[in-house]
Formats: sequence, C-alpha cells, structure tokens
Amino acid sequence: MRSLTLLATLLAACLAARSVAAGELALPVHPARVVSMNLCADELVLRLADRDQITGVTWLARDPRGSSVFAEAVDVPRTRGLSEEVLALHPDLVIAGAFTTRSAVGMLTRIGMPVLELGVPGDFDGVRAQIRKVAQALGHPDRGEALVADLDRGLAEATVAPRLLRALVMRPNGFTVAPGSLGDAVIRAAGLVNVAAEIGRDRLGQVPLEAAAFAEADLIVLDDASTETPSLADALLHHPVLERLRQEGRTVSIPNRLWNCPGPQVAEVVKRLAEAARARTAGYPLPKTGEHFLPAGTLQ
Amino acid sequence: MNAPLSPLVQRSHPGRWLVPSLALLVAILVIVSISSGYAAFDVPAAAADWLAGRNTLQALVFWELRLPRALLGALVGFSLGLTGAVMQGYLRNPLADPGILGISSAAALGAVIVFYSGMAGALSLALPLGGIAGAAGAALAINLLAMRGTGTLGLILAGVGLSSLAGALTALALNFAPNPYAALEIVFWLMGSLTDRSMDHVWLCLPLMVIGWLMMLSTSRALDALSLGEDTAASLGFDLVSVRLRIVTGAALTVGSGVAVSGAIGFVGLVVPHLVRPLVGARPSASLLPSGFAGAALVLIADIAVRLLPARPELKLGVVTALVGAPFLIGLLFHHRGRG
Repeated sequence: MRSLTLLATLLAACLAARSVAAGELALPVHPARVVSMNLCADELVLRLADRDQITGVTWLARDPRGSSVFAEAVDVPRTRGLSEEVLALHPDLVIAGAFTTRSAVGMLTRIGMPVLELGVPGDFDGVRAQIRKVAQALGHPDRGEALVADLDRGLAEATVAPRLLRALVMRPNGFTVAPGSLGDAVIRAAGLVNVAAEIGRDRLGQVPLEAAAFAEADLIVLDDASTETPSLADALLHHPVLERLRQEGRTVSIPNRLWNCPGPQVAEVVKRLAEAARARTAGYPLPKTGEHFLPAGTLQ
Repeated sequence: MNAPLSPLVQRSHPGRWLVPSLALLVAILVIVSISSGYAAFDVPAAAADWLAGRNTLQALVFWELRLPRALLGALVGFSLGLTGAVMQGYLRNPLADPGILGISSAAALGAVIVFYSGMAGALSLALPLGGIAGAAGAALAINLLAMRGTGTLGLILAGVGLSSLAGALTALALNFAPNPYAALEIVFWLMGSLTDRSMDHVWLCLPLMVIGWLMMLSTSRALDALSLGEDTAASLGFDLVSVRLRIVTGAALTVGSGVAVSGAIGFVGLVVPHLVRPLVGARPSASLLPSGFAGAALVLIADIAVRLLPARPELKLGVVTALVGAPFLIGLLFHHRGRG
C-alpha cells in the first residue's frame, strides 16, 4: 500500500513537471544568480556580468589552454555541467550551449529552470548577435554594445596582405576549419583563402597529414599547445613534416583559447593571421611543390 | 597438450624456400604500403629525390610519413609474429600470444604512463623503455605462472585477467592525464595504429627490437628440446634459467618497444604461427623466422587495408587483425577442448 502511494506521488510529480515545461518561461530581467554550463557561455558571462551575478562556470573556464578568460575565472565556483551541481547553486538563469550537456539541460528545462541556449555562430554577425543576446539576458545591454565595438575595432585594425594567400588550419588530431564556420570567416577576414574547402576532408573535417603537406598552402595555421602536457592529438602538430614547414616560416601558431569561442578575442586571431600573411609575402619567396624549397643540409 | 612429436623426426625441409619467399612478400608489401596513402604523388621520384639528398616536399613526405609507416608495420609485425611463435613453443601452448597473455596491454600501460606524464618529452627513449617495463612485468608474471605448472587454459585466463587489468589501469591513467585529448586516445593504445608515425619512432624502437629478436632466436634449439619436456631439455644440457631469461627479456624488448610506438595490435602472434606450422612442421625452431615474416606481412596487409577501406576516420589496426584473429581464437579453443 505504501509503495502504491509512493508510485502515485511520483507520477503526480512527473505530471506536474511536464505541465511546467509546457508553459514558456520568461527569463528574469536582471538575474542575480547566473550559472553557465558551456565554456563559450562562461567567456561571455565572465566578460559581461557583474562578478556577484556569476554563481558558477564550467571547470574549463580556468584552463589557460582553451579559455580566453582563465584569469577572471579563478575565484568563481565551477561545475562540470551536471544538473545536480547546477541545481545546488540555485540559479535564476542558466546559460548553456546548444550542443553540450544535453541531458542536464533537458532536465533543468523540465523542472522549470530558465535556460538560455547559445548556438554556434558561423560568421561575425552571429558573434555580434550572440554577444548582444547574452548581455541582454544578463541585464547589461550597454556592455554588450561595448564588447561588439571592441570586436569591430579589432577587426578594423587588421591590415590584410597585398596578395591573397592560401591557408590551411591544422588543429590537434588533424582537424581543420570547415567552410561556413566562424574559423573560416576569420581566415577570410584576414585576407586568406581556406584551402580546406578544396582538399579532401572526411565528414569530421580531419585532414591527413600528407594531404596537408601537399595542399600547397602558403601558410599552415597551427592550433598548437605547449608540449608540457602531451597527447597524441597535439603530437601530430609536432610531426617532423610540420616541424620542417615551421622552420621555413610557413606556419603560424594561434593559441586555441583565442578562437575556441565566439567573442571579441577572435579579432586578435584575424590580426595575427593578417600579420603572418604580410610577413610571408614580404620576407619569403613562395615556393611551389616539387621545387627545392630549402638548401640541402640546413636541417638536422 | 604437447605438440605432436612425429614432425620432430621428419627432418625434411619443406620450408627451404619459405623464409626467402616470405621475406620477398614483406618487401613487396612494404613497397605497396609506401605507395598507398591519402595524397597522390610520384613515389619513385620522391624516393629518387630523397636518395639524391634533395630536400623536396615529396622527399620529405616519403621519408617522414610513408617510409616510417611501412617500416614500422614490418618491424612491429615481425616482432609480434616472432614473439607469438616463441611463446607458443616455450609454453607448449597453442593459444599463447603477447596480446592474449596480456603482455601487449601491460606494455601499453607502461608507455601511457611515460608518455602522458611528460617524461617522454624530456627523454624520447623513455617511451619505449616504459613499454618495455610494462611488457617485462607481464612476461615475468606469465612465466612464474607457467613455472608453477598452470595449464594451457589457466594461463590464457590469467592473461585475460592481466589484459583487463592493464586496460583498466590504462584508462585510469589516461583520465588522470592533464591533457584534455588524453582520455580519447585509449583506442590508439588498445587497438593500435600506424597513422602519422615518423622516422623518429623507427629509430626509437628498431635497436631495442633487434636485440630482442636476437635473444629470442638464440633460444630456438632450446625450444625444440623443451617440446620434449623441461626435464629432458635440462638433461640435454640446456640452461633453462638462461632460456627463460632470454625469452622474457626478448619478448619484453620487442613487444614493449613496438607497442610504445604503435599501440597494442592484437592476434598477430596467435594466428601467424598456426598458419606457418603446416608448412614447416611442428618443430618450434622451424617456425620462428617464418612466423616473424608472416607477422610482418599480416600487419602490413592490415595497414594497407585500413587506408584503402572507405571508413574515415581510419580504422585502428587492431580492428582488422581482430576480425581475422578472434574467430581463429574461438576455433582454436573449440579444437583444443575437443582434444581434451
């Protein structure tokens, strides 16, 4: 009998939860306890919100490898994006990514938590819109405008090279930047052509190393990290083939944190790429595949 | 459980041309492996560029991508085939194989601890040494069990236990590794791959492997004597302590350094001696070199197959070898049970 009562109570609770989810919840105008469940949301929250509004960010926000706001995140409570952790923080606004921690976000939505989901912008307009959206949700639209102005100022400062150079991005595990993504927009803004569009990428966007070597890219953009904490994924970017291109000045390293997420920091990537392209057109003759591109014996 | 003795007295040489023809097959497969890849380029011209010392891009790809991949396939395959043949002879156990006995997974554990802690960055030789330390631990444990008289299936079960333990500890070590990519790389260590290796890896494992091969090959006559039983072998004047030591050290050196650069590729050492034995007879010494070359051929074929198959990202080598090897193992187990 007791178990029957328990079952009935549970059923009632489930029905109640469903009925809450059915009605659209309005986001609070000026949230006081914001919890972010995605690194890119962390970055915008840490840039836009008052410190006392921020109740939790992800553990990734403190990682200097991937986070552009690792210093600001030091004294903020962190979660691993689990629904229990988030609930324990009693948030009045949860900001999540549209593709991460899906089951936790689903749970939070079901129990009636106000959740703002952020997509993955594919161009600079998308970045501006996302900054404004988060700033609005945090109750600081003015700061959003200021951040967008920062981004635009950064983009305006980049001086593109006089010639259109070909660039290929190589990330850990040989992943590249697909056409139509923000990374592709960044490359084009720097006055470069994204070679990934023409060489055979598999459906995951991975480029075999030898295909990268023969892609006739003027500039290979390496998203490489320090070798202190090694992995096979990162070791690929230190393969002798890429090391040799690096010695010839045909590569440029861009830290992962600068273009991991949409934000004003991507303007810095545009600036660095444009600068590398200018150095490449000014300082080095551009060799073609098959020609000698280095005097014999200059390498170990 | 002993191998049938009759072929011992046959003394015929059906395998006179076997080793040269297998060596030729491996040479051809090395060339095929060098010619297959993801970018079309003129391989003979690249090889000519490299031989002439011209620093062209195609010479670089030939020397740092295609050649090391093919050489490592041959080296690792030879090591696994040879070690399998030696293990099967020494343990008088048709199911013995560095993968099944847990030596490969233990080697992967050793290599993982050394690589992800950053020790291999400071001293590159640390990577094969870590693999060798892991392999040596497992080989010693198996040897102790064998000395205590553990039967065929008992040893295999102990190996299964050791494999699972080493695999779990590898996963644990990878989860504790500070690099965010580490946890995803367990597939490489447990299934093996030769993708994007470089000549550095060849130089790292080649000398250690050759020493291990020589140690194991030096026990071939003792293995023949051991097929008559340990007491007989001892009475024939073989120093069994020295034989054990050479086999354990040799297996650890070859498998440990191989796994450290290619991950653990399973089933090669199991399948190959059984394929070779009908051609050379049951005498253990006769199967050593042919097993080595056949192992090299098998790994090279698997590695060519993963590049030709349309599956992307590329399949791990262990997937292909297990597709061949696992049904083989199950068949052997049934056969073995049938014989009691």
